[in-house]
Amino acid sequence: MNPHAKLICTVSLIMGTSITISSNHWILAWTGLEINTLAIIPLISKSHHPRAIEATIKYFLTQSTASALILFSSMTNAWSTGQWDITQLNHPTSCLMLTMAIAIKLGLVPFHFWFPEVLQGSSLITALLLSTLMKLPPITLLLLTSQSLNTTLLTLLAIASTLIGGWMGLNQTQTRKILAFSSISHLGWMIMIISYNPQLTILTFILYTIMTSTVFLSLAQIKVLKLSTMLISWTKTPMLNATVMLTLLSLAGLPPLTGFMPKWLIIQELTKQEMTPMATIITMLSLLSLFFYLRLAYHSTITLPPNSSNHMKLWRTNKTLNTPTAILTALSTTLLPLSPLIITML
Amino acid sequence: MSPLHFSFYSAFTFSSLGLAFHRTHLISALLCLESMMLSMFIPLSIWPVENQTPSFALVPILMLAFSACETGTGLAMLVASARTHGSDHLHNLNLLQC
Repeated sequence: MNPHAKLICTVSLIMGTSITISSNHWILAWTGLEINTLAIIPLISKSHHPRAIEATIKYFLTQSTASALILFSSMTNAWSTGQWDITQLNHPTSCLMLTMAIAIKLGLVPFHFWFPEVLQGSSLITALLLSTLMKLPPITLLLLTSQSLNTTLLTLLAIASTLIGGWMGLNQTQTRKILAFSSISHLGWMIMIISYNPQLTILTFILYTIMTSTVFLSLAQIKVLKLSTMLISWTKTPMLNATVMLTLLSLAGLPPLTGFMPKWLIIQELTKQEMTPMATIITMLSLLSLFFYLRLAYHSTITLPPNSSNHMKLWRTNKTLNTPTAILTALSTTLLPLSPLIITML
Repeated sequence: MSPLHFSFYSAFTFSSLGLAFHRTHLISALLCLESMMLSMFIPLSIWPVENQTPSFALVPILMLAFSACETGTGLAMLVASARTHGSDHLHNLNLLQC
């Protein structure tokens, strides 16, 4: 892609995100969301492949609908309360419409159908941007209005997202779709706790961003797009395969790794709020996603494909030093002992 | 709800139903999206008049500018789908199924 166009798109993404997360007025928040949508469309469609164009069309239609719904819900609230403050969203119809619009934006069930297909149609780095940076403005809006939103609806969306994210990820062989469903189930965890303790949502989002960025950057370095490529990727960078395994297990939420921290704190908070059946249900449902993380980890480190021995060593001509991946890997596997510090920082 | 607010509410609702139930062409989805934006423009224009806040008078123009950009992007996607898939039929967008 033309470097100038790429620069404009990237700077617009950062600007749109900054506008939305720092706004007090609904119109400014809507403006930031529109800038984000417009800026990422050239990034998704840059390869002009039919799949990329299809992904762009699906992304554009869903995100524009959601932005229009957000504007309409803020207008309805302004008619009844006379102000446009984001934190003062009090009209019940506005709250319902806003929840549905943010669910469309984030890819929560039952509005998740666009997300795996859009991630599949874009390159790995664009998929990283779609999973992490584009989730930040809608989650910010949800955090600002979390006091007035219907708790039952949010709990329902959360449990359905964890269920569908885990269940539909089981049959996937393309890594981008697997990561899409993992993203959907992590969003379910984030939405579960938002009406009880919004700081845990912020913590879950930050840790989810770190872990997902690590996986995407590692997969982009070894260019793994499907499970069968994962089997032979150990020849390219053996160390990276080991760290990919640890990061995937961290995403699954296994204890000595970082991914356990948000799950543990969310279950603790849900139990304090007398929501123990919900905590049990959502924990059991995340076992489904554990299966496909384990399968990815298994394919990357424990098995060997039935190739002849001269396929086992690839020519390694360019050994690139990838500092961001290294830093993010260290963060996404070793932050659990620091959880008392992190809790006090939020 | 006053009759005026009810008319804007129903205009937006019908446009969004048209967007949800479009069946054949991408361009009908883009038209419904544009009509949703148009039905938001008029309430935003009336707001500074009925609430005597002239500082809000720029907002409908801003909204119109962004919705025009969005429509332009949608039309570019229409042309791109005509190049890659041959037409703007929505049932042709099936390359990325699970």
